[in-house]
Amino acid sequence: MFLMRFTERAYVNYTREDVLNSPNEAVRLTFSNSHFDPQLGSELYNMYLDEYEYSEEMGFDGLMLNEHHNTPTCLGATMNLEAAILARITKKPKIVLLGNPLPIFDNPIRLAEELAEIDMISRGRLVSGFVRGTGVESLATNTNPLFNRERFEEAHDLLIKTWTTPGPFRWEGKHYQFRVVNPFETPLQKPHPPIWIPGTGSPETLVWCAERHYPYLFLETDHRGTQDMMEIYAETARQHGYEPGPEHFGYLVRIHVQDTDEKAEEVGRGYMEGNIGVGRVPLPRDYASPVGYGSASRDPRFLRLREQIRSDPFRVGGLDTAAYDDILASNRWIIGSPDTVVSKLREVLAQMRPGILAVWTNDGSISHEDSMRCLELMGQEVLPALREIGEELELTDPFQKAP
Amino acid sequence: MAAEFTEKIVEVGGQKVHMLTGGSGDPLVLFHGAGGNTGWLRYVQALADHYTVYVPSHPGYHQSERPEWLETIADMASFYTWFLEEQGLEGARAIGFSMGGWIASEVAATCRHAFSKLMLVGAVGIKPEQGEIADIFIISPAQVNDLIFHDPKQAPEYDQIYGQPPTPEQAEIAEGNREMAVRLCWKPYMYDPRLPGLLGRVNIPARVVWGREDRLVPLECGELYQQALPQSDLVVIDECGHSPQVEKPDEFVRIALEFLA
Repeated sequence: MFLMRFTERAYVNYTREDVLNSPNEAVRLTFSNSHFDPQLGSELYNMYLDEYEYSEEMGFDGLMLNEHHNTPTCLGATMNLEAAILARITKKPKIVLLGNPLPIFDNPIRLAEELAEIDMISRGRLVSGFVRGTGVESLATNTNPLFNRERFEEAHDLLIKTWTTPGPFRWEGKHYQFRVVNPFETPLQKPHPPIWIPGTGSPETLVWCAERHYPYLFLETDHRGTQDMMEIYAETARQHGYEPGPEHFGYLVRIHVQDTDEKAEEVGRGYMEGNIGVGRVPLPRDYASPVGYGSASRDPRFLRLREQIRSDPFRVGGLDTAAYDDILASNRWIIGSPDTVVSKLREVLAQMRPGILAVWTNDGSISHEDSMRCLELMGQEVLPALREIGEELELTDPFQKAP
Repeated sequence: MAAEFTEKIVEVGGQKVHMLTGGSGDPLVLFHGAGGNTGWLRYVQALADHYTVYVPSHPGYHQSERPEWLETIADMASFYTWFLEEQGLEGARAIGFSMGGWIASEVAATCRHAFSKLMLVGAVGIKPEQGEIADIFIISPAQVNDLIFHDPKQAPEYDQIYGQPPTPEQAEIAEGNREMAVRLCWKPYMYDPRLPGLLGRVNIPARVVWGREDRLVPLECGELYQQALPQSDLVVIDECGHSPQVEKPDEFVRIALEFLA
């Protein structure tokens, strides 16, 4: 099992009232950057990089980053820069980018160059994930949401060709045209860095991944629904002549450890102000999913597949509006002493069988000190136990068995 | 006169076009806005008392098919020159509302014999120099409706149009319409930088009508249209928002009939 550490690198120095007084009461997209203090930002970027460095020391196999725009909930606005720094200051762990939002790039060749540099500087440790991005990413970059999936697929095809076909060549696509594709620098890993795709389970993307043998990483999805989605992946995989195993699946979960259950549960409340922002004010629908963003979802084939997925008990409003105790009781966030966390994770891992576990160790208002203690306990007690469980459950990862 | 119209599907360039038609007299084509074809409202019937009125749903809207190649307002204008030819409507009078005003302007600038008279109502298409065209793609349809009216109470058909929650079918059509608007108007948002230059070619009488309190498309855009169209005047309706035809239908119809005659 591949164990990687994640945090969204939140900025929490604002209030619920600030959010409620912002345009459309939104914490993303239009929440004014006058609330941002670069002095504090400077501290936070360095602090978060320190935590990632320490995560290597504590034995994580991978350091996972993500990217969002116009939001205090994630300081990774240009994730590739953080990745480039980690490529240089760490030695062993994979640098897992989940992921670059392809549709918002007007020049995917530049992205191919950046990723190739990160791969070379890290001496071949890049895992290059791609996402469609939330609606906010489309709006923040003025990328037409109606073409989101088309641009995702075309940019992906162009990147892969750029990495695998000697240049120069021409690209005359629907959304991208280049007269001379020939970036001189190519990735160290051949034919190209591994590609993993994270998401919350749109059937279109599951099918697309299965067709390409790309591992799919479920982002905090409901356990039973996740199994349904894995089955959709598996059906496509079988049509393409293979049976998927744990190496084709990953799962992201917030896991926080402290010395005692009581302390962990108290500290873990800080997550509540992470992904959804301080005050937990739900994002307007038109930001999260602007007109046209879900246009492909009216395809009857995918409508049928969508119906096969059991609905998430937390679906209305998602995890981010659910009560803390309910989330803990459902094992959707796993918070406690090392023993508690390991025993709860055993259940989750046995049920879902992912080969990749993304460990979201801290976020929101969880302090740096608590985060570092969490990472320390992870390294001393949780990760060794998880490795044993991984072996016992035969949770092979994509580096043990090619997907 | 009671509302009397037929709803039909006609074919243009191999594509089905959904259209409402009614009335008698010379042809008058109405070009609807970004939200979609609002149907045979009171102002349409009042116009149909004097003209044969045609209200096509734009390609990609309602039951009208979108040709694969049609992605922009300029494409839409090309399509409509084809539509006017095939339907024998060249030389008709035309009124374009909001985004429909942009389409009609492009048609008139592209083809001098397309229309005999052109009226624009709260039309987008020209970039304002001072203000901004409200961004309807990052707010909800309810917020858009709120911005359309200066005072909904003076719109006699407000409840008829907005009073009922949409049926699932209506909601799906509305979503499809919004998607088509996103396709056509995303970037640059609701204008084409070449339009003011092209409008110098329009050699037919034109009237630009605006609600003084239009909160979606600033009155300044009306002034810019009037300056760009060689034979035009600008009529501003006081105490009125973006859709005078719905908010003040009687005054709107009077202004329209006076011009179209």
